Amino acid sequence: MSFRHRLKAILFPLSLLSWVLLLLSTLSNTQGNAAGWLGGPWPTWVTLLAQALFAASVFVYQRGRTEPLIGNDFVGMMRRLVLGPGMLATACVGLHLIERVLQYELPTNDRTLFAVIYTINLGLFVVFLANTNYSWRSLVLFRASSRIQREWVWFEVLLGSTLLFRLLDWVPPHPIDYIIMGSLGTFGVYLSGNQQWVAYLSRRQKWEAVLLQIAILLSMAVFVSYFLRIEHDPKLVAPAPQHAFLLLTVFFGAFYAFMGLMVTLFNLPTAGVFEQKREEILSLQRLTQLIQRGQSENEVYGMLFDSAVQTVDADAAWIMLENEAGVREGQSYQVSPEQSAAVRNLLQEHNLHHIEYLNNDLKASSGFRELNLPYGSLIVMPLRSAKRRYGALYMLKQARQGFDRENLSILQTFASQTVLSIENLNLMNVSLENQRVQEELKIASIVQDSLIPKNLPIDSWFDISSYAASAKEVGGDFYDFLHLPGRRLAILIGDVSGKGVTAAFHVAQMKGIFHALMQENPLAKSERDKFPVPSRFMSQANHALARCLEKSAFITASLYIIDYENGGFVFARAGHCHTLYYHSIKEEVSYFQTAGLGLGIIRNESYEKHIKNQFYDYNPGDVMVIYTDGIVEARNAAQQEYGEERLHQMLERTYYLDADEIKQQILEDLGQFSHGQPMHDDQTLLVVKFKSAQPGLNN
Amino acid sequence: MKITQHASANTLTLTLDGELDASSSVLLDAELAKPETLKFEKVLIDCQRLNYISSAGLGVFISHLQQFQDAGVKLVFFNMQDKVHNVFEILGLDALMTIVPSEAEATAF
Repeated sequence: MSFRHRLKAILFPLSLLSWVLLLLSTLSNTQGNAAGWLGGPWPTWVTLLAQALFAASVFVYQRGRTEPLIGNDFVGMMRRLVLGPGMLATACVGLHLIERVLQYELPTNDRTLFAVIYTINLGLFVVFLANTNYSWRSLVLFRASSRIQREWVWFEVLLGSTLLFRLLDWVPPHPIDYIIMGSLGTFGVYLSGNQQWVAYLSRRQKWEAVLLQIAILLSMAVFVSYFLRIEHDPKLVAPAPQHAFLLLTVFFGAFYAFMGLMVTLFNLPTAGVFEQKREEILSLQRLTQLIQRGQSENEVYGMLFDSAVQTVDADAAWIMLENEAGVREGQSYQVSPEQSAAVRNLLQEHNLHHIEYLNNDLKASSGFRELNLPYGSLIVMPLRSAKRRYGALYMLKQARQGFDRENLSILQTFASQTVLSIENLNLMNVSLENQRVQEELKIASIVQDSLIPKNLPIDSWFDISSYAASAKEVGGDFYDFLHLPGRRLAILIGDVSGKGVTAAFHVAQMKGIFHALMQENPLAKSERDKFPVPSRFMSQANHALARCLEKSAFITASLYIIDYENGGFVFARAGHCHTLYYHSIKEEVSYFQTAGLGLGIIRNESYEKHIKNQFYDYNPGDVMVIYTDGIVEARNAAQQEYGEERLHQMLERTYYLDADEIKQQILEDLGQFSHGQPMHDDQTLLVVKFKSAQPGLNN
Repeated sequence: MKITQHASANTLTLTLDGELDASSSVLLDAELAKPETLKFEKVLIDCQRLNYISSAGLGVFISHLQQFQDAGVKLVFFNMQDKVHNVFEILGLDALMTIVPSEAEATAF
């Protein structure tokens, strides 16, 4: 246990013991039974020493107690101070009265009771003073610099030693005693100047503090008047220095309470302004915090409105909100819709409703007088950014000259804060919306991906490899396969003009049309007519698309029906890229040059005239390369197109490979050609290689 | 893309300069959609400096084709570069639209 802890532990018993000693010593000086019992009058120094011990231990004990000030709760601390010591003062008065009544009822010469009560009151008073003193201390040291804190310790030591010396009846000779007392008093005044805590009180709290300080002074006065009253009582046996000590301590305690009271009182008239500024700062803070929380627009306007009304202390107010849909009245305060509309109409007549407007003498305006409203001052604060108007705030006060420059500037700050936060909110909503669209595009992309056939047809007669890539999330290219009865395979490839979601819709539509039209027709007369030939398919597809494709949109497509039982195929090209073909018999690569109009260009029956079927008997080893324009129109850094010629050359170099290898080689060449260039269009590439192996017939 | 126009008594000549892509086709569409365009007997499109035509550009001509036919306005393309002509041809538009080699032939048409 450290010395401090040990000291703390013995202080309380020491104060009790010294008080008992003081009591006994006082009693020994009374000429009564007790005195006789105690062995006659004890010397005066015992009394004084006991009192010195008692006072010192109580003060040091109070000093070591926990800080009475909790946070910024000054008023709470004073309330506790009034309650505790106030009760002590009441007890003091009560005891004194009891003694008087007893003295009156049972007159006696025995001064024992009087002395006991005097000693009790003295104890109570010392406790009171110690308590008060240390409460003031926490006020003086509130937010004080370390210098002030050191000075306060010195003040305590000096004051304590001075008082205790006084108690020991040692008075320095004149004029040294005056000098000592004078300089101590000056020091006290200097320290009492530290009343920073007053600034932290609201107007109401200041009033409360004033009343509490008066109450404390009053309870002090109760004690003082008691001691002054009995000072000349003949029954008093206490030595004079004891009294002088008490009065001197009272002086310092009361001094600080009085200073605090004065400072608080002088602060009262400015409390309102002070509080208003404080409220303005708090409102600004609240508004600023809203931005970070990113709440809804309505909440931000609500916050602006409440803060504005509170800050400028308006008697009536409303807010107008503007958006694409029009102007509407938002929140209002102590004003009816008719009244606000009347004021607005009047301002509108003078074209004042969209600008910052302050009128501090409404009664002077004849237009306003006619409205017969009880208001003298008006502020209109528009809410606007460089880009658009968000509305306006209207504030009214009954008094003339009700608004000042500060009101106007704080409202300006509020307005710009609000507009800023609204714009932030909007930006956030836009980015959220973008994010949502992105998400949906991702889903669309997944859906579209599921439309692309994953399992390529496999047969010993041919070998197929495919590649498809979209420039955007969703694309306009498509291809599909369908097995038809009689060892036939239908292959569809195509490209919807335009890109993005619209194109993607038409892709899905084409796929639907493909599967719907390539159904077996049970009414067909011959086997050949059971499925539409490619040209027939194109006419029907053109008809189906005519009504739903937008005017400037069109679709290119090629449909191939390969009959691998008979070793031939038939195809029709509706404006789609030419088919590149390797003829193994002739050992030659060429494009099938056929005419054919894109779908959706002519939307009537005459379309049939523009589409032809092309028949071809293939040979084993033949290679068919089917693609979309994204392949041949891919560009290099010099903005040249990949072109049909380059594709032609690639097939000449690779025709002997597998379909998959041919595809890989073409894509590699394409990749090298357009290296570093963005992909402008969707790319689709199908390679079909006809094979000689036909296990069924080889045997 | 730059579109310049020259109007004589009964002929409107539009000269296309640059690439006709998705964004520039909007300009062309605005030109062709003007009501006064349909008052001419002939609309000639000079394609000498047309380097590239996208599907959106083709879409503009396609969307106005029917209107021109209904109003009896002849739409004639001339001086077309090979690669642009190839695009028209692949799509089958050469069968629907009049494409001639020179301005003289276009005027005579």
